[in-house]
Amino acid sequence: MRVVIAEDNLLLREGLARLLAEAGFDVVSAVADSPALLAEVARHRPDVAVVDIRLPPTQTDEGLRAAREIRRRHPGTGVLVLSQYVRVSYTVELLDDGARGVGYLLKDRVSDLAGFAAAVRQVGGGGSAFDPIVIDQLVGRHDRADDPLRALTGREREVLALMAEGRTNQAVAERIGIAERTVEKHCTSIFAKLGLRASADDHRRVLAVLRYLNT
Amino acid sequence: MDPASALPAGDAVAAVTAVTAAGVAAAFVGAGLVAVRVRPRNRVGPLMIIIGLLWLLARFAPLPATAGGVRTALAGTWAAVLAHLVVAFPGGRLTAWLPRAVVGTAYLSMAGVAVLATTGLAPGAVVRGAAMAGAVLSGLAVMGLQVSRWRGSTVTRRRSLNPVLAAAVVATALFVALKPVMIAGVAVRSLTPVMQVALAAVPLAYVGGLLRRRIDRGGVAELVVHLRGVSRPVGIQRALAEVLHDPTLRVGYWMPETSRYVDVDGRVVPPPDGGDRVATRVDHDGAPLALLVHDPALLDNPELVEATCAAAALALSNERLTAELRARLHQLDESRGQVLRAAETERRRLERDLHDGVQQRLLSIPMTLGLAESRLSTSPDQARALVGEAKTTTLAVLDELRALSQGIHPPVLTERGLLGAVRELAALAPVPLRLSFEVPAPLPVEVETTAYYVVAEAVANITKHSGAREARVRAERRDGRLLVEVSDDGRGGADPARGSGLRGLADRVAATGGTLRVDSPAGDGTLVRAVLPCG
Repeated sequence: MRVVIAEDNLLLREGLARLLAEAGFDVVSAVADSPALLAEVARHRPDVAVVDIRLPPTQTDEGLRAAREIRRRHPGTGVLVLSQYVRVSYTVELLDDGARGVGYLLKDRVSDLAGFAAAVRQVGGGGSAFDPIVIDQLVGRHDRADDPLRALTGREREVLALMAEGRTNQAVAERIGIAERTVEKHCTSIFAKLGLRASADDHRRVLAVLRYLNT
Repeated sequence: MDPASALPAGDAVAAVTAVTAAGVAAAFVGAGLVAVRVRPRNRVGPLMIIIGLLWLLARFAPLPATAGGVRTALAGTWAAVLAHLVVAFPGGRLTAWLPRAVVGTAYLSMAGVAVLATTGLAPGAVVRGAAMAGAVLSGLAVMGLQVSRWRGSTVTRRRSLNPVLAAAVVATALFVALKPVMIAGVAVRSLTPVMQVALAAVPLAYVGGLLRRRIDRGGVAELVVHLRGVSRPVGIQRALAEVLHDPTLRVGYWMPETSRYVDVDGRVVPPPDGGDRVATRVDHDGAPLALLVHDPALLDNPELVEATCAAAALALSNERLTAELRARLHQLDESRGQVLRAAETERRRLERDLHDGVQQRLLSIPMTLGLAESRLSTSPDQARALVGEAKTTTLAVLDELRALSQGIHPPVLTERGLLGAVRELAALAPVPLRLSFEVPAPLPVEVETTAYYVVAEAVANITKHSGAREARVRAERRDGRLLVEVSDDGRGGADPARGSGLRGLADRVAATGGTLRVDSPAGDGTLVRAVLPCG
């Protein structure tokens, strides 16, 4: 799987390249700002671009805007946005262009090499990967007594959160340590309780769940 | 007085006595009529007329010589009414128990004398003696009352009391001093006209006081001329104090934004809550303009106060602008101080957090890694566990640093500006927020940060307390100001004075020279509205 990295801090850029190479990725380019990123993506058409949100020259949201640009111009390239902070509103913004091939993680996640590699692979393969903290915050909005989310059992909530992070049924099953069939049953129950239409398509499912959580 | 002083004609003293006696009646009745006209609701006028008429009857009624008792009774009655008048002056009403007791006693003793005199139960000399004793005692009581009242009065009150009280005290003193001597048979008849003149001076002093009020009101015209030239605000307060003869007078100007009165230096003037101060509000074009906090004695002279307020309205409304400016400066100073103190506290907290938390934990990482390094070849399993520990600690430090920098400045504001930051708030809030933003051009950073905290605090309150179903956030930049408004349909009743969050917010807003208003009627939602100047 071919990867382009955009990170302005030299140490982190080199570190990320080393980690990803170690995990078996082909790091075709590592750049320090958003124009270079856009140029390299156009040139290499990688499977995935790993992008820091704050990039020169403004050090504000350059990376986020570049990410949306890439998704519009190169639908074949997945984008994984990394940040020191995660923002629910950024997640919502990224989802504006669909849930296919998109991810948004806290930078800390790179310390779990296997987990991080799985997320990059997931996004590179057209799936999605959202940070558990974002999902926590989204679920946290639904704490009113009359919210349908309150009707979910503890296990169902757990499954819902993992699903919202972009994990497949198989990954959810592995994570919780239950059978995949059981996960499917939980999914059906969750969708019924929330009044959502079930979908076999993974990224449609993620989108539906995240949109639901965001309302 | 004693009827024996009405002497046969031909005697010069008797003539003067008769003339001054008539003068007394004329003075009382005349002053009474003036008083009734000028102060129709005050009892002073009727009391004076009654005294005049009783005096007239007592002195000149064509009673047969045998009816000396009736004359004595009449004389006693007018004296009692006079006591009543002097004690009740200038309000015309007896409100405290002591004056009531004195006046009541005067009336009672005179009634007793009248009964004795008209029924002939006792010899005339005894009756006259009793009448005199009663009159002297009542006179002394009245005098004592007046002296103590005068001593307990303010300068302004004394000014209106002085003329009448002085005349009354002189008349009473003469009466008390001379009567017993006369009753004892000493020939002091020539002194009777003197006493009568002193008596007539009482109503005349009253009329004089009224005249002086006319003159005072003339002073108002001068005030208008004077105020036109007043450039220093203290001047208005002093000029008003002078015209109203109340050196303690204070002027407070209405500040509609804070709904308070402040003096010209911008300090708050609290409205008096009863006690020895009263307030008169000055309105201009139907809206409150200023508050005069003054001596209650001025309420006896409402025309003067009214005329003065009307005359000073224009000058006051000019001065109000100055006062408003100074009040703002004061407020700015105060809130700057608050914000500085808060920032100082915050810096100390940060330093402590960095020192106790982040630094200590960071230190532990190389220590753990050093241990791992030394065990790498001998016990790789232990080394791996130590590396894992170092990693966990590093992530924890990262978390802590994140929380710290969030506290210093919301990162989302740096990344996305006000709208983006408010969108993030909306994305996290359990209550749906409708946003309406009309903010062209980037905002100055301090305005942006303040506006963000206004919305953040308001939204936090909505989430925590309001029970609202929906909320709106509006931001508009217009005419060099940023308007930020957060409203909800919740239960209202938020009190900025109680919640420290809203109070801190008010300081923050005031420090930028802006204003913060919180309207939160119980049961009818809350509106938080900040106006921030932004060049």
